[in-house]
Amino acid sequence: MREKGKKYLGAAIAAGMVSVLFLSGCSGNNGSGAKTEIEILQYKPEAATYFDKIEEQFNATHDNIHLTISSPYDASTIMRTRFIREDYPDIIGIGGDINYSYFTDAEILADVSDYDGLGDIKEAYVDIAEALEIIPTDGTYMVPYMANAAGILYNKEMFEEHGWEIPTTWDELIQLCEEIQGEGILPFYFGFRDTWTCLAPWNGIAVDLAPADLCRQVNKGTATFTEGYEETAEKYIKLIEYGPKDPIAYGYNDACTAFARGESAMYPIGSYAVPQILSVNPEMNIDSFVMPASNKKDGNTLNSGIDLGFCVTSACENKEAAYEVLDFLLENENIQDYVDAQNAIPCKEGDFDLAPMVDGMREYIDSGNMTDYQDHYYPSEMAVDAILQTYVLNEDMDAFLARFDKDWQRYNRDIIRKVQMHEEEHGSTK
Amino acid sequence: MKEKAVRVKANWPVMILLLLGLSTIAFPLYMAIVIAFKQPSEMTNTISGILSLPSKWSFSNFSQAMEVTDFWHSLRNSILITVVTVILSILLHSLLGYAVGRNRSHSRFYKFVYLFVVSGMFVPFAILMMPLAKQTASMGLGNWAGVILLYVVFYMPMNVLLYSGYLVNIPVALEEAARVDGASTWRTYWKVIFPLMTPMHATVAIITSLAVWNDVMTPLVIMSGTGQNTLPLAQLNFQTQFGTNYNLAFASYLLALIPILIFYIICQKQIINGVVNGAVK
Amino acid sequence: MKNDRKRTFLLMTIPILALFICFNTIPLIRGIIYSFTNFKGFGTYDYVGFRNYMDLFTDTRVWNSYLFTFKLAICATIVTNVISLLLALGLNSKIRAKGFFRAAYFLPNVLGALVVGYVFQYLFTYILPALGDLTGSGALGKSMLASEKTAWIAIMIVCCWQNIAMNTIIYISGLQTVPEDVYEAGSLDGATGWRKFRHLTFPLIIPFFTINTVLCVKNFLMVFDQIMAMTQGGPAQSTESISYLIYNNGMKGGSFGYQSANAVIFFIVIVAISAAQMSFANRKEEQL
Repeated sequence: MREKGKKYLGAAIAAGMVSVLFLSGCSGNNGSGAKTEIEILQYKPEAATYFDKIEEQFNATHDNIHLTISSPYDASTIMRTRFIREDYPDIIGIGGDINYSYFTDAEILADVSDYDGLGDIKEAYVDIAEALEIIPTDGTYMVPYMANAAGILYNKEMFEEHGWEIPTTWDELIQLCEEIQGEGILPFYFGFRDTWTCLAPWNGIAVDLAPADLCRQVNKGTATFTEGYEETAEKYIKLIEYGPKDPIAYGYNDACTAFARGESAMYPIGSYAVPQILSVNPEMNIDSFVMPASNKKDGNTLNSGIDLGFCVTSACENKEAAYEVLDFLLENENIQDYVDAQNAIPCKEGDFDLAPMVDGMREYIDSGNMTDYQDHYYPSEMAVDAILQTYVLNEDMDAFLARFDKDWQRYNRDIIRKVQMHEEEHGSTK
Repeated sequence: MKEKAVRVKANWPVMILLLLGLSTIAFPLYMAIVIAFKQPSEMTNTISGILSLPSKWSFSNFSQAMEVTDFWHSLRNSILITVVTVILSILLHSLLGYAVGRNRSHSRFYKFVYLFVVSGMFVPFAILMMPLAKQTASMGLGNWAGVILLYVVFYMPMNVLLYSGYLVNIPVALEEAARVDGASTWRTYWKVIFPLMTPMHATVAIITSLAVWNDVMTPLVIMSGTGQNTLPLAQLNFQTQFGTNYNLAFASYLLALIPILIFYIICQKQIINGVVNGAVK
Repeated sequence: MKNDRKRTFLLMTIPILALFICFNTIPLIRGIIYSFTNFKGFGTYDYVGFRNYMDLFTDTRVWNSYLFTFKLAICATIVTNVISLLLALGLNSKIRAKGFFRAAYFLPNVLGALVVGYVFQYLFTYILPALGDLTGSGALGKSMLASEKTAWIAIMIVCCWQNIAMNTIIYISGLQTVPEDVYEAGSLDGATGWRKFRHLTFPLIIPFFTINTVLCVKNFLMVFDQIMAMTQGGPAQSTESISYLIYNNGMKGGSFGYQSANAVIFFIVIVAISAAQMSFANRKEEQL
């Protein structure tokens, strides 16, 4: 009995070893002929179906290039581990945030200013991408593809039923909240247990009230957050008062469900939340409006940033082929498909059909009156979202602003030194 | 098996307590099952809503979840990685555990090896991740084999701790008897000690397999780009930054739970079957 | 003969040890090297000497994460050990449907973090406060996860709930080494219940008690999954564990070098604690 058992064990081990060797042998060869290989690694797994289709169509219509697109979960970790292995994809699809700034700074990305397709991209978004460079350069390192916008989502049916008007100034917004509350309805829902959602209303208010380049000014040493964010912080806390009694108790998912079930009239979050809300209540009629934090009617701007942009890596051996892939991605038809699938806003000029929930923002999009999310400049390790959560809990504005300034200096030390060295060398920049 | 028929009177008070304790497990499980059968449009924030039974019992979530995760393929990968890791762990870790356990009380070298290996348990994975990603790639191990190898190393500290602890209760006299009969140390180990450690093998198998089965980080970091998925990796598909399909995800988690539960039930029989009782004294 | 035995032991040890050094020690050394740089995780970096280590001592966030982690680890270790030992004794006693019970109590360990997170978040956000309202208990009326004072308790409950299964298995396998005649001899002397446990059973399973405490301390000090699933470090950063900070800021964020330094310090601290713990336990074992 024992002997037999051991034989089995031996066989199993041998089998295991052999299969391991066999499999490791397999993954080594990618067998392909003269075709140029282009690999895209993009960070939005929710768009995987779209990119699978693109990959298929591209390969069916192009004989000279073979395209592979991967849309893994947790792409940021995967990108980092691949960078450290020096196994660079040809094109990466990332958002226009601090990671893009870091990657540009680390010279991982190639200059794409010679790419013709860039001319079709809306000026505003190219500017947003360029502003994210830590040290301003002459080059362009990203082809903005899709944008998202954040404002306030509202329950259209509920608004129509009660005859509520869309507010265009801060005072109107507060008045509206009072009115909604007066009818026994909760004006806002928040899901602040999921810390990152604390940033959504913050961004919306900050773009209206704080200078767009506040973070860069602070890095140069010409401004402080205590001054720059004072009004934002004040209005932020005011807005929270119109939410549930204990906003920290609920998560993002709870808030989406609550809003979908009509438990609140409005929900200050980006358009990205719409699919989750609709999954709970497919019939719901959602629209959005721009956060009116300023009291001047024309003082408000749409909070919009680059949700997905494509960057060619410096390691890419065949830039021409990469541009051909980008051309394909930027074909109007494909952009429209993406917009339909993801409720996104295209960065390309042109007449596209946008999702109904961005109707209320259309005017701003068309006129190009938009400003990047402030949090795209915040280093993630500083955890501004958690600082905001703390502020929501203790409502101590002075401590909040003081901490913002102090932590900023701590977490951006290397960047600040770099920027100030650059300033000294080049005098003041644009 | 060894229970004498005369004494099978069950200990009822203990059973009642155990049943009561079970409610802490039954409730989450109930919730998980109910959610796995519901549609996203049935999700609410009210208590009665979440605890209510689904409006209709259909396995569509399960079949859809299997499709999204490419279930059979991912399952095969997960099983292969887990099984090979467990077998290698039992063989290698018990061996090291034995060498260390028998010698650490009188040899400085083995005491050092013991502390050196066991302290490896406390290295935060995050600090190893980057260097390992680089190292495995440069050695051509950015694949399954690499993942298995890393698991064998990661769980070595814990398993060596377990094995050498278990050895304390296995008298040296048993080996000496075998040695007097002329068997070599090597042979004595495989003939006498290894079988005696069956309960610990089963324990190690359970703990290691469970850790491997649920692990996301190692395959994510090491196997990224190979196009191969393990079940937990495939399950990440249900969560995106801005939305999670809990219904599909729960269905998929329940499916992934079954193989490991079966494995546990098989192993835990070994813990009891391999009673050292008679053999030791 | 004696030399032969020695050589066999060495042959058993060296290759396995080499493997361990190759995939644990060497990468660790590389990690330690990174801790002296301002490496972001990609791109170029500079050596900054001991700057990262100096910064650690002035970083209140790091200090708070140590406080939280240790508080959690100590409490959770005690609770888990007590409950799992009781559970192991129960599951090892003469009961019906033993297999069923053992399988059922194992379940918490297999449920994925997403499920555990969702279910317990729901429990703490909606169900417990509703119970609190029902019973008029003010303490329960508010979500435990929403307060800096209570969130850690919620995390502890989930940690214990998940870890008890594992510790119970280890205790059960330990109980198998207790020869039945020890019990029999004991019952002849009239030793029952607590006294039997205290004087007969417990001394024999002390090695397993040691293993379990070490594993618990290790698991809880390195707590990560439960934090990710339940609070992501909130509210107000009150549940940021050390591992969470290292992963989140080092891997996800741009302070890889700095968090490597944190990891090195953390490693030294846990090794010191465990070494103390084990030598203490060894002394105990020898006494008995």
